[in-house]
Amino acid sequence: MSYAIETFDLAYRAGKHFEIRDLALKVREGSIYGFLGPNGSGKTTTIRLLLGMLKPVRGTISVLGRKVPDEMARIMAQTGYVPERPHLYPYLTLEQAVRYHAAFYEGFDMAYAGEMRRTFGLPLDQKLSHLSKGEMGKLHMLLVLAQRPKLLVLDEPTDGLDPVVRRDVLSALLDFCSQGSATVFISSHLVHELERICDWVGVLDNGRLVVELPMQSFKNGIKRIRLSGAPSLVGDTPFVVLQRETTGAEQVWVVRGWQPPMAQWFQGVGASVREVVDLDLEEGFVELLRSSRAPVS
Amino acid sequence: MFKEVLKAQWLAARLPVVLLAVLAFALPLLTVTYGGSLENAPTEQVAQWLFAAQRIGLLIPGLALLVGLLLGIGAWAPDHLGKHVYALALPVPRSMYVMLRFAAGATLLAVPVVSVGIGALIATLSVSLPSGLHAYPVQLTVRFALAALVCYAIFFAISIATRRAALAVLGVICGIVLADVLISSLNLRTGMSVAAWVFNLLTTWPGPLAILMGRWALFDV
Repeated sequence: MSYAIETFDLAYRAGKHFEIRDLALKVREGSIYGFLGPNGSGKTTTIRLLLGMLKPVRGTISVLGRKVPDEMARIMAQTGYVPERPHLYPYLTLEQAVRYHAAFYEGFDMAYAGEMRRTFGLPLDQKLSHLSKGEMGKLHMLLVLAQRPKLLVLDEPTDGLDPVVRRDVLSALLDFCSQGSATVFISSHLVHELERICDWVGVLDNGRLVVELPMQSFKNGIKRIRLSGAPSLVGDTPFVVLQRETTGAEQVWVVRGWQPPMAQWFQGVGASVREVVDLDLEEGFVELLRSSRAPVS
Repeated sequence: MFKEVLKAQWLAARLPVVLLAVLAFALPLLTVTYGGSLENAPTEQVAQWLFAAQRIGLLIPGLALLVGLLLGIGAWAPDHLGKHVYALALPVPRSMYVMLRFAAGATLLAVPVVSVGIGALIATLSVSLPSGLHAYPVQLTVRFALAALVCYAIFFAISIATRRAALAVLGVICGIVLADVLISSLNLRTGMSVAAWVFNLLTTWPGPLAILMGRWALFDV
């Protein structure tokens, strides 16, 4: 299995209160990897580490099979990056911005850029300082997709955009992905947005990778189980217990990695399963964060 | 690639560049404000004229400093605004990007330099000099170009420096001032000034600012 992004034992410290520690990411080639995490969890910092913009205190990073930061120019030639906030030069017109950007990329597809500009309805002679937030979001997506990159790194690309623009931007992304085998690494705190497009998901909280698994496992594997007669102490379980609450005679467990045959395990410990409820992605995400902050003993 | 960087830099800095070019064109012409034919003028009038012209000539290194300052800082202003994120994401080594920015800014220096040259040439042609006096339009233009380039390089480097480096420079300046205050408060009567010593170090050859000093005359003996 080859990975488009791979980090090992990555550590970074920013000030006294924030650090990224022991970060081991594995982003498979050709996957659409959702990088989830609450605000301030370290998603942008991680992305800047991956792109050589920050220097880690420990660990190794490999992107597209090349070592960061030694081969950054070669990596960036094949990587499209949409930053959290637009950083293009505001005094340029849209046409000038496209030409400026294109000058740095050998394979920049000007015809595709023109086609996307028309689809997005972006005005060619408008200065970037006069573009709306939605138009800037579309422009960023246009620029990176026309690069024809092997890897797309998108840092909250739809944050603050209205639903129509968000749909346009994500549609363009999915269209691009359907044309080739690019890997997409997309960070967001909007869980539902990633649910629709990602096949892998990593959850970051407080600078630590809580979980990294296929989206299908994430969606189907987190359950809320209502039990009766559950023991207060449990040994090894075939699933991961994220949360346990007692309400009267009943106990409510939130578990990860659940599969229906595992109900037999409860019978073995003298408990009976009353109900198994599917959690949607957002609920699952919240439970994961709760359990990572206060692990079940 | 360079063409686009130059174009972007020109679009960002065109207003100050044009204003500087107008100033650069006007300064040599100012030196002949009292112009006209000096061919048969009395020696005293020629001396006064030359003195006035040389006083105006002192403004030219000041202009070179201003050109270097505005273009040096302006070269990085758009990237500073975006905290260099866009620049860092471009697929070129950082050293090459710095070179591109430097070269683009240095190319823009040509606008005020050419303006000085044209102004100096027109000024030279508009006055009849008495024997013994000579005009130096080419020398003045070349010297202005070198002075502007040196100032540009210094401010370009300061502008791209990290906060730590900027603090170190500030610390050195504060240290010099403090040393002078200490020397004068101790009443050592040494006649020594650290600030004056540093100034001399920078402005006398081979100091980097030596080119700004000395006579800057379009007309001289």
